[in-house]
Amino acid sequence: MRTRNAEKEELVRQEAIEMLVRDGFQGFSMNRLAQACGISVATLYIYYRDKDDLIQKIGAEIGKQFMAKTLQDFDPEMSFAEGLKRQWENRAAFAIKFPKEVACYEIIRRSRHGDDIVEESLKGFKKTMGDFTHNAITNKELLPVPVEVFWSMAYGPLYTLLRFHEEGKSIGGRPFKFSKKIMEETFQLVLKSLTP
Amino acid sequence: MTIDLSNIFIFKTNIQTEFDKLRIKNVLDASQKVLKWNIDMDDADRVLRIVSDSLRPEQIISVLDYVGFECTELE
Repeated sequence: MRTRNAEKEELVRQEAIEMLVRDGFQGFSMNRLAQACGISVATLYIYYRDKDDLIQKIGAEIGKQFMAKTLQDFDPEMSFAEGLKRQWENRAAFAIKFPKEVACYEIIRRSRHGDDIVEESLKGFKKTMGDFTHNAITNKELLPVPVEVFWSMAYGPLYTLLRFHEEGKSIGGRPFKFSKKIMEETFQLVLKSLTP
Repeated sequence: MTIDLSNIFIFKTNIQTEFDKLRIKNVLDASQKVLKWNIDMDDADRVLRIVSDSLRPEQIISVLDYVGFECTELE
């Protein structure tokens, strides 16, 4: 009788993320993954129907993990400044703690699996964030700009700083480390630009 | 639906084309003993995964053999 082995499943998940980030979609195969995990190909196929199934499940799981962290101590009824600040803190914490998961999620999101995963894992999340910006506009705490303008202004600077941090350097190869102070300084400018 | 893992069988096959897959589909879909099946066409081994609570691997191999495909159980 075969039984599920949670430890083995976690190992598969970790190795799959690692392989996708390192070798991309083309370099990823069930065979190589089984080898990297030291398990048989058959075991891998018992857990996952096929390569697509594996990638979709891993993507959805990272999406859920990201959503849970991002919504931690967050309420769409919060004031715009407070709520956006919490978003920055949560997103930064997730990106710094799970850089591989973030990179892997990006790879999957941009692939043909992307739409399904975003739909599936971020359903509730989208609604909460939509309510938050809607409230902020109604309360005149946020300029009524198109969503793309809002997103790129509200989160673009944060993700740029996090990318510098991940690479360990910024413009012209200057060494860079993300810090609360830098986040705060950037955040205040962002807030100013989005407030009526 | 949770599947008893002991009812999942994994095979390496020589299925090559979508047409091959169609031929296998006709046979497997017709069998009520096959609860679920799929082939990973992305994989070099064209792995066939079958869920059945009553078939034995040898029986699956002979069905595939009957329609002209090689099939080896992976363990």
